[in-house]
Order: sequence, then structure tokens, then C-alpha cells
Amino acid sequence: MCGIIGYAGQRSALPILLDGLKRLEYRGYDSAGVAIVGSGLQIVKDKGFIANLEAQLTPMTGTTGLAHTRWATHGAPSKVNAHPHTDCHGKLALAHNGIIENYITLREKLEAEGHVFKTETDTESLAHLIESFYHGDLEEAVRKALHEVRGSYGIAVVHADEPGKVVGARNESPLVIGIAPGETFLASDVPALLRYTDKVVYMMDKEMVVLTPGGALLKDLEGRAVHRDAQRITWTLEDAEKGGFEHFMLKEIHETPKAIHETLLGRVANLELDGLLTEDATSVKLVACGTSYHAALVGKYIFEEIAQVPASAEIASEYRYTQGATERPLVILISQSGETADTLGAAREARRRGCKTLCICNVIGSSLSREADATLYTRAGVEIGVAATKTFVAQLIVLYLIALRMGLDRGTLGYEEAERLKDELRSLPRAVLAVLNKEPMIQDLAEVYGRDARDAFYIGRHVNYPVAMEGALKLKEISYIHAEAYAAGELKHGPLALITKDTPVIAIAVDDPTYEKMRSNIGEVNARGARILAIGTEGDRELPKFADDLITVPRMSPIFSPVPVSVALMLFAYHVARLRDCPIDKPRNLAKSVTVE
Amino acid sequence: MGPFTASVPKVMIPVGNRPIIEYVVRALVESGVRDILMVIGYRRERIQSYFGDGKAFDARITYIPEPKQLGTAHTVRQAKPNLDGRFLVLNGSSLIDKQFVGDLLGHADGPAVAIKESERPQEYGVVTLRGKNVVAIMERPREVTSNLISTGAYILEPSVFDLIDRQAEEGRHDLPSVLSEWAKTTAITAVESKGTWVDARYPWDLLRLNATALLSVHDIRAGTIERGVVIHGRVTIGEGCTIRAGAFLQGPLSLGPGCEIGANAVLLPSTSLGKNVRVGPLTTIANSILMDDVNLGPSSVVQDSVLGSGVTSRAGLLAASGPADVPIEGDYHAVRQIGALIGEDSELGNGVSVDCGTVINERARVASGARLRGTVPAGAVVL
Repeated sequence: MCGIIGYAGQRSALPILLDGLKRLEYRGYDSAGVAIVGSGLQIVKDKGFIANLEAQLTPMTGTTGLAHTRWATHGAPSKVNAHPHTDCHGKLALAHNGIIENYITLREKLEAEGHVFKTETDTESLAHLIESFYHGDLEEAVRKALHEVRGSYGIAVVHADEPGKVVGARNESPLVIGIAPGETFLASDVPALLRYTDKVVYMMDKEMVVLTPGGALLKDLEGRAVHRDAQRITWTLEDAEKGGFEHFMLKEIHETPKAIHETLLGRVANLELDGLLTEDATSVKLVACGTSYHAALVGKYIFEEIAQVPASAEIASEYRYTQGATERPLVILISQSGETADTLGAAREARRRGCKTLCICNVIGSSLSREADATLYTRAGVEIGVAATKTFVAQLIVLYLIALRMGLDRGTLGYEEAERLKDELRSLPRAVLAVLNKEPMIQDLAEVYGRDARDAFYIGRHVNYPVAMEGALKLKEISYIHAEAYAAGELKHGPLALITKDTPVIAIAVDDPTYEKMRSNIGEVNARGARILAIGTEGDRELPKFADDLITVPRMSPIFSPVPVSVALMLFAYHVARLRDCPIDKPRNLAKSVTVE
Repeated sequence: MGPFTASVPKVMIPVGNRPIIEYVVRALVESGVRDILMVIGYRRERIQSYFGDGKAFDARITYIPEPKQLGTAHTVRQAKPNLDGRFLVLNGSSLIDKQFVGDLLGHADGPAVAIKESERPQEYGVVTLRGKNVVAIMERPREVTSNLISTGAYILEPSVFDLIDRQAEEGRHDLPSVLSEWAKTTAITAVESKGTWVDARYPWDLLRLNATALLSVHDIRAGTIERGVVIHGRVTIGEGCTIRAGAFLQGPLSLGPGCEIGANAVLLPSTSLGKNVRVGPLTTIANSILMDDVNLGPSSVVQDSVLGSGVTSRAGLLAASGPADVPIEGDYHAVRQIGALIGEDSELGNGVSVDCGTVINERARVASGARLRGTVPAGAVVL
């Protein structure tokens, strides 16, 4: 999802354009650029953060301009591919969202006419096409060019010879006009404008607009004026964005299947690892904090089982201050924001020790991604709730993908087995959906277990031991109930002393090699009178004899079970916190990304 | 629609790779209607997750949960607090276009009903007219007096709410009754639209909706297309797709993001594949819908069929097309060309053969080598 903003007014355009870009950040991007018309046309663009761009800007003066954030989907994110694009003479700048379907034909024609192309993008052919029609009237040139174009577009265009003017057009890619006294705006989304005006006109397909400080002229592609009344925006950003859900956390839990789809996209068939040669690594070290650390702990089992490579997990703030063994593991750093101070410090430490580093994060262009040798993004979309939900699952998905690739590269994983694992990986969105469909029942169980609880214990074994830890963390974070997780085998070494009939126990007992052991652990707890909520596998007829209540997840290879099980535990924690009227999206004392050490 | 609505509401069933209701939203936005109230009930989270606040669709969407579905008038009644002027009422499970909305909006004042000629009026609300005005709407009448039916799309005014409340007290909760009563005192115009209106009533209607939707599919080639792939016609290939060598694709087709099409597979018109669909090598698919996360094994034949989300099938599924009497809710319906209707998350073993018009409900598990006909109940295990 790319973002466009355009401005024609009397103030300096640059700060307004940069602010607008930041408000479009949530759409995701990997490169950004600005064009300002003042004395001539000035363009600055680069890949990465808007902050990168800001750092390079010499003060650009001019009261007209446009800016763009690009999210490369095919074609690499790079400085040259970033928008705005220009014509042969650097007089015209164009920002474009959408796809020009007939760009190859256009490009061949324009090249035959002598136009020189600098990039492989479809957008650049549109810039040259407008140039070929330009005879002193930008509006006319854009109109003629659009008659030759097939595809979707939202565009903004400026020309050095026509300061004070921005021309926009849309077809199947949103654009909205903002109107204020003495200035006009164009943006792909309302939030980019809200700081400057609440008066907007939505453009429709096959419409053009000419922005000048005096006002916006809306026309159709034949040049006939279109009249449409401006609308007043009355909503606030936060209300709108919850999309009918009571809390961001619940919205984000329900976005988990989508997060998995996006994270898998194009990577199951072939995972690109930025040239990082995983077959060279003799071991893997996973380093992270908080929820991401729990993903790292699950990762240890994933790497050992799928890639058959030794793996260990460490808390970032601990790893940084250890001496470090002589081996050189591949260090995988996990952080949702990519800004976690301790994880960043750990990345630097890993590199100092001569290790290759791979980072898993959700925010494009984050500090961690700049620090690491390679980055795999989780593509879970913006997460606003402080308690991590969909991003935890997306982190697991990336770990499965890396382990698969590593197993294939190292020859420890056969083709047939890999194909079977890929099929299971592809089925995970459905497995999560099956859990989401059980929400009404989980809500009822939250009432039974969570209403009056002061403490709660989570138990699991093997790959679901860290999942139990994550379940306990979720409950602590948002419901303020004291919750602890134990490896079920450790119960008899101490914690059993804490179990009474008033402490609910949540036990993960899916169908895996530890199932029998888990069942006897549940029996031990049962004997102390605690009420037990078990998470088991669909079709399990034995478990109800040992546990008081049961939430089931679809049958799958045990190594994948953390995905649906963790979602069940998120829903459980959410509904407990909701019953207890806790400020779910902003728990006390906690911040979304911890940028202090 | 039973086999396809275990995890989503009917309006979210995809045709041409978009939920049916998305066509409604797009038709509205293209007509300049951006403020949309969605009255939602069963599996409402799926709708909310998909549309969010509507921004991605250029609309502003407000959700109104309806805890109990009593009837269409009751549904409309839920939106009363959010309405203060004339409003449009549209059904989320009919495929419509901009012209359909435009024709209805073009009607200047007073309430209106969008009507259409139908080949099977007995299944709908049949409209009786005097001139341009509605006299009555008879829901599924025993005797059909006209082939004009109500499309369930209306322009209404807040004054209708009093009548809705009065009828509700008498236990009537459907809009046709309300409008028939209202027509006695108020002129309700019947607007016959030339725009698109395709209703999804039975599962095989989905194939008709799908073909209609694919008429306007874009030519987009994202993802990785290996050497030797032949593509004719208009084909959308979503991001992150991999099309293996030797595949033959004849548009109109739409492939969602993240699909993997095996070597030498053949995809024929008018077929839609959802997100994350895997098609094995040497498999042929024609005029079918494969929803999200379907995994169809190698050397299968699927024609005029609908495979619900999450269906997995091992090698050699045979779901060929032909004329059949399809059993739906106890009635048999003669359908000219139909393959298999396979419900969400069903798992089929190797070499399963499915007779024309067979309905497999959701979560069925079918062992290798089985031959199926008639109806397979939800969750059944077929040995």
C-alpha cells in the first residue's frame, strides 16, 4: 500500500509533505521521496525510513510539491525505484499508486521516440508519456496521457514550469482532496490531511483535479468540470480504526489468519534469505525479549526438529552481558518493532563476536533491520494493542520458514518431508480460524476461570512449554492476574506446593509424544483439587476424564501446534481482562516497544 | 450455502476472488455513497476483519450488531439510531454494479424498490404494479402473476420505522410485508434497473456470480511465473504466486495471493482461486471456485465445482461436470452443468471420485478410493 500526498499553498511545502507521509506510515513502505517546485524542481528520494529521507534534505524551498511512500511488491526497494519519477529533462515529477497494465507497450513506443528510461518501473513510462504531450499545459498533457493508459492509478504530478499547481487523477486507487483557505491538498488517505483540514472531497474513478492555492478544480477525463460538495470529517482516528471491535487487541487477534497469509506470501515455494547462507551455520542462537523471547523459545524446538541444527534461545538483556562462547552461531534477533533497545544491543554484540545476524521484525526499515545482515519481515500489519498477538504468531511462521529453508540447504530435510511440512504450514490460517470460531465458548470459560482468580498456573511440555509461558504473560499483562508457567515435569520439584482448589490451572495437552506424561501431570494437579482447563486436540475422548473443561485445536504435527494453541490462550486472556474491566489496549506501566535498556 | 458458511457469513463467500458484499460496497462507493452501515450477525468478526473501518475501500463503515435475526425489517430497524434521512437498503449477498445503484439513486424522491425480471419468480418476492407504483410484494407466492421480482434493494425514509414497529408487534418482521402495507398509503416507485443483479440463493448460483464477476477481471501478473507457462486472455495472478513450468492458463481467471500452481496444470475459464491455494501438477480445473487455503493434489479434474476454504484433497480427485439433480435441504433441483460442491475443511484421500451434483458438507473426511454421490453430512467420515 503506497501513499501519496500533494500540496499547493502559500506555506513551505516540505514540512507539510513530510508530516503527511508520516501519517500514511501505517500503510507500510520501504522507500520514500519528495518533489518540491520552487526555483526549479528539486527531488529527494531514498529507500528505508522517512527519517532517512529527512536526514538528507537540504532545506527545499517552494510552496508546491508532492511526496510518496512506496511499498515494493515486485521489484526491489531501492533509491532509483522510489517515487517521484521524472521525465527526460527532470522538469516533471510524478508519484503513482497502482499498476499501469500496458506499460511495456508504452515504454517501447516512447523509447522509439527517443525517451531515455532510468528505471524498470511502470510509473516511469507514465512520466515520459505525459512529457510527450506537454506543451506548456500540465493538465492537458496529463489528460491526453491518461487516455492512452490501461490500469489502475492514483497520481500526483508537478512541473517546474508551472509552480503553484499540482495535477491529480484517480482510477481504482483512492485519492482525496483537502480544502483549506489559501491552500489545497491531495492524499491517498484522510489521516494525512486531518491536521490541516476537515473539509474533503473524495475523487471518483476517471476523474482529475487541478490544485492551486486558490482552490481545487475537479474534472472528468474529457475536461468537463465535475461539481461535488465537500464533506466534513467528524470521526477521530482511533474510533475508526478499531473497525467495530471493542479493543485493538481483539481486532488484532482476529487478524491472525491474515497475518499468517501475508507472512507466508511468496515464501513457501521459495524463501529468499538476502544471500544469507544458512548451510554454513553450525548452530542457531535466538535472542529476544518479552513475547518475542517466547517465540524464540518455540524457535529452539522448531530448528532442532525441522532443520536438525542445535539451537538455543536467550533473553537479549542477558545475552549482551555474557562472555560468549567461541562458536559462531547464526544469531536470529526477534523484535516486533525492531526498536527494542536490548535486542539492538544484542545485535551489535553478536556482530562484534563475528556472528552472522538475521532479524525478524514487523516494522519496515526499523533500526534492528539496519543493524542485521539480513531481515525477514513478519508482515502482520500494524499492531496497536500493547499485548502482542498476531505478531507473535507471525514470528513463529517466519521461524518455520527459516528452519525449512535451512533443513533443505543443509540436506537434513528431504524433499518429500519438506513438501509435507509446507502443506501443514499452508493450512495454519485455517487452524487459527477454527480456534477463532470457538470464541463464544472461550468467553464462557473466561467467566468460569478468570472472574475471581488471584493466581493462575499454566503448564505444558516440549514445544508447548514456551507457549504456556506466553499464555501466562498475556494474562499477567492485561488482566493483572498473577500467572506463572511451568514445564509440567517440574511441578513435582516444587510448584505443586502452590496448587490449591482456588488456583485454576491451564494445561496444554495436545496429541504429541509428551501427551501421556501431560495427562498424568494433569492428574497430579487434579488430585489437589484445582480446576483444570485443558487445551487438547480435536477428537480427544480421554482428556475430558482428567480435565474439567476442554478447548480443542485441529489435529496437526505437534511442532505446528503452538500456532492455534497460542491463539486460544490470547482469546482466553482477552476475555478474562474484559470481564475485569481492565484497560486492555494500554495496560498500566507497559509500552508497546521498549526503547530503553 | 451451508457447506460454505461454517466459518464465514454468506455475504463473505468469494466470487471472482472477492466476497460478494465487496461488490456491493464498491458499487456504492463508485456511485458516491461512502457512508455505509453494515448490520451484521453470524460470524460478524469475519466482515469486520475484512473491511475494517472501510478506509481501504474508500468508504466509512459503521457496524451494527444484530444479535438475533428475525427478518429483513428487523435488520433494517437496527440501523434506526444512525439514520436521519432517506437511505438505501441493499442485500449483501447479491452481486450488483454501479449502474444498479445509480438507477435506484436516480429515482428522485419518495421510497422505491428495485425490480428485475426473473425466470424463477416463484422463489422471490413477486411485485404487483399499478403503473410505476408498487401495489404489493408477495413473498414466494403459490400462484405467480408476474415475472417481476423485488431485488431486495430499496430506498426508504425514516417514516417506515413506525410501520416496522407496528408490524413487529404482530410478529411480522419482513420488509415485503411492511412495504405491501406501506404501499396502501404511500407511493412506492418500482425502479427497473438495467444494471447487474445476480442473486446467490443456491451453491451453484455462485458459479454464475463468479463468471459474471470475472468478466471484469484485470490483467495482472505478479509473483513468479516459470518458463514455459502459457497464458491466454485476461488473468489476474496475485502477489507471491508461483506458476510452475508448463502450466496453461486460459482467462478469465483470478488467482489470489500466494497460490502455487504445479507443473503442467491447466486452469480454464471461469475459475477463481482464493489466497494460498495449492494446485498439484497435471491437475485441470474449469469454471470453478477454489476458496482460500485449498490444497488440491496432482492429476485431479475439477469442473463446474465449488471447493470451500481449507478443503484438502490428495492425488487424483475426479469431480467432473454433467447434468444432475442436486439435493438441497430435502428438495432436488435440476442443474444443467454441475460438478461437486465440497464444504469447508473437508479432507479427501487419494483417488476420490465424486459424481455430478454431489454435496459434501463441511469437515467431512473421505478415505482414499471412495466414490461419492448424493449428500455427505457435515463432519461425516466416509470409509
